[in-house]
Amino acid sequence: MLMRILDRLEEIFISFLMGAATLITFVAVVHRYLASSNLIPITSVQDWLLQFDLSWAQELTIIMFVWMAKFGAAYGVRTGIHVGVDVLINRLEDKKRAVFIIFGLLAGAFFTGIVGTLGAAFVWENGAHYAWLQWLGQDPGDIPEGPTTPDMEMPTWIVYSAVPLGSYLMCFRFLQVAWNFLRSGELPHHDHGHVAGIEEEAPPVAGEEDRIYRMEDDLHPHKLREPPFDDADGKGEGK
Amino acid sequence: MSTAIIFGLLLALMLTGMPISISLGLTVLTFLYTMTQVPVESVALKLFTGIEKFEIMAIPFFILAGNFLTHGGVARRMIKFASSMVGHWHGGLGLAGVLACALFAAVSGSSPATVVAIGSILLPAMVKAGFPKRFGAGVITTSGALGILIPPSIVMVMYSVSTNTSVGALFMAGVIPGLVMAGMLGLTTWYRAYKFKYPRQPRVSFAERFQAFRDSMWGLFLIVIVMGGIYAGLFTPTEAAAMSAVYAFVIAVFVYRDLGLKDVPRVLLNSANMSAMLLYIITNAVLFSFLMTHENIPQEMADWMLGEGLGMVAFLLVVNVLLLLAGNFMEPSSIILIMAPILFPVATNLGIDPVHFGVLIVVNMEVGMCHPPVGLNLYVASGITKMGITELTVAVWPWLLAMLAFLMLVTYWPTLSLWLPRTLGMIS
Repeated sequence: MLMRILDRLEEIFISFLMGAATLITFVAVVHRYLASSNLIPITSVQDWLLQFDLSWAQELTIIMFVWMAKFGAAYGVRTGIHVGVDVLINRLEDKKRAVFIIFGLLAGAFFTGIVGTLGAAFVWENGAHYAWLQWLGQDPGDIPEGPTTPDMEMPTWIVYSAVPLGSYLMCFRFLQVAWNFLRSGELPHHDHGHVAGIEEEAPPVAGEEDRIYRMEDDLHPHKLREPPFDDADGKGEGK
Repeated sequence: MSTAIIFGLLLALMLTGMPISISLGLTVLTFLYTMTQVPVESVALKLFTGIEKFEIMAIPFFILAGNFLTHGGVARRMIKFASSMVGHWHGGLGLAGVLACALFAAVSGSSPATVVAIGSILLPAMVKAGFPKRFGAGVITTSGALGILIPPSIVMVMYSVSTNTSVGALFMAGVIPGLVMAGMLGLTTWYRAYKFKYPRQPRVSFAERFQAFRDSMWGLFLIVIVMGGIYAGLFTPTEAAAMSAVYAFVIAVFVYRDLGLKDVPRVLLNSANMSAMLLYIITNAVLFSFLMTHENIPQEMADWMLGEGLGMVAFLLVVNVLLLLAGNFMEPSSIILIMAPILFPVATNLGIDPVHFGVLIVVNMEVGMCHPPVGLNLYVASGITKMGITELTVAVWPWLLAMLAFLMLVTYWPTLSLWLPRTLGMIS
C-alpha cells in the first residue's frame, strides 16, 4: 500500500515537472514577443504584460528538469529503461546470467548510494546545516549560509537536494528490482518501439501482442524462467 | 597507463550488462578514489552541474514533442501523403515507405517507434499488394533510421552538448544529407522494384494529393517551426524545442484528435521517463569526460595520432570503423557521449569542421541501428514482421549497402553537409 503511494507520487511528480517546465518556457517566450514587439498595438496591454518579469523562467526550467532527471532516473529503474551492454551476458546460461544481473543491479545501488551520500554531505555543508540550526532557533555561528541562485535567489542547497533525494530513491529502486528478480526471476522491460494508435489496425492475436517482450533481443535482460531462445537458426520465433 | 586502466575498467563494467550510465559513473569513482588525489566530494557537485545548462533542456522538450506525435494516426496520414506522391512509380508502396519513414521519423524523433508505426501499417498493405515480405521489411528497417539525421534530432543535440557545437548549424547541416540519404534509399528501392517488377499503385489525382498533404501538413509544420524559428533567430534551440512541444500537443489533441486530454499525463510520464534516462547518461558522461580531461587523455591521444602521421583521410576511416564497431554494442546517445569528447580534439586538430564531424557521427549511428547484433531497428522490425534476425539481415543488405556508400560520401565530401549552413551564414 505504502509502496503504491510512493509509486504514484513519483509518477505524478515527474509528469508534473515535465508539463510545467514546458508551459513555463512556452509562456516566457510568448510573453517576450508580446511584450516587446508591436504584435499588439494596444499600449495598455503591453504595459500590463511588461509588469511581469519572467527572467526567472529559464532558471526555473533548468531546476525543474534537473529534479525531473533525478527522480525520473529512479522511475526508470522501475520501468527498466536504463539499458546496458548485455550482448555477452545474454549468451550465458541462466544461472550465470542471473549472477551478472544481480551484480549489475547491486552495482547500481552501490553507485547511487555513494552519490546520494556525497550529495547529502555537499547539501549539508552548503546551507542545509545553517538552515536547520536557524529553524531550530539556534545560533548558526560561523556555519556558512550557503549561496543562492542568481535569478530567483533561492538557496542552492534546496535546489541541489535533488541529488541526494533522487539518488537515494534510485538506490532503493535498484534494490527493489534486485529483490523482485531474486524472488520471481522477472525484470522490468521498457519497450522502445511502443506506438499508440496502431492497435486498431491489426488487433493483437492472443499470445502475440507481447511478443516483443519475449524476443531474444540482446538489448534488455529478459525473464529468467523462459526457455532461452536460439536465434542462430534465424527463425526468431522464440522457440 | 591511466588511459588503459580507465578504458579497461569501463569496458569490464559495461560487459557485465549494468546500465551504461552506472558503469561510467563507477569507473570515474573508482579511478578518482584509488589513483588520484582529487576529492571525491567534487563529484557530487558535478552530478548536478553536469546537466545544469539550458541547451541540454532541448532534449526533454524534443522528446515530449515527438511523443505527442508518435501515434498511429499521424503515421497513417504520412503514409497516405507519401503514397499519393510517389505510389505510382516503380515499387510504389516501397518508395512511399521511405518517404513516410523520413517524415514520421523527423517528427517523432525515434527510429524504433518509426519502424513500428510505419511498419505495422504499411507492411500488411505491401504484402497484400504483392510485395515480398523481405522487401518491405528491408525498406522500413533502414528508412526508419533517417530520423536522427533529419532535424529536429535528439542525437544531434547530444553531440552539440558534448562538443559545444551550435545546434542550429548542426540541424541545418543535417537537412541535405538527410534528403540525399532518403534519395539513395529510395533509388535502391526503385531499382530493385524495377528489376523484379514489383507492383505500382494507380496514379492519384491532384485533388487527392492536396487533400493528403493538407492532412499531414500539421505534423510536418513542426519541422518548420523548429528550423524556421532557430534560423530566423526567433528562438534559441531549447525554446524552439519547447514551442514545438506545445505545438505538438495542440495538434495531437485539438487538430488531429488522436489523443484525448486524458492521454496527456501518460505522454508526459513516458517522455519524462525517456528524458530522465538520457539526462542520467549525460550526467555520468560529463563525469567521465571530466576524468578524461583531468587525466589529459584527449590531448594525449590527439598528440599521439598526429605524431603517428595520421592524416585526415586515415583518421576519418579509423573513426568510422570505431563507431561502427561501437554501434554493435551500444545505442547512439551513449556512443556519442563517450566517443565525441575523445575524438573531437583530434578532429579539430586535423582541421575537420566540427559540424561536418557531427553529421558524420550521426550517419554512423544510423548505420549502426540497422545491422546486427544490436541494431535496435532490426529488433523492432523483427517484432512486427515476425522474421528472424538472420533473415532480416539478409533482407536489409541492399539498403545497408546504400547506407554504407552514403557514409563514405558524407565522410569524404564535407561540402555536402556544410554547404547549407554556410550559405545561410550559420558557420564560417
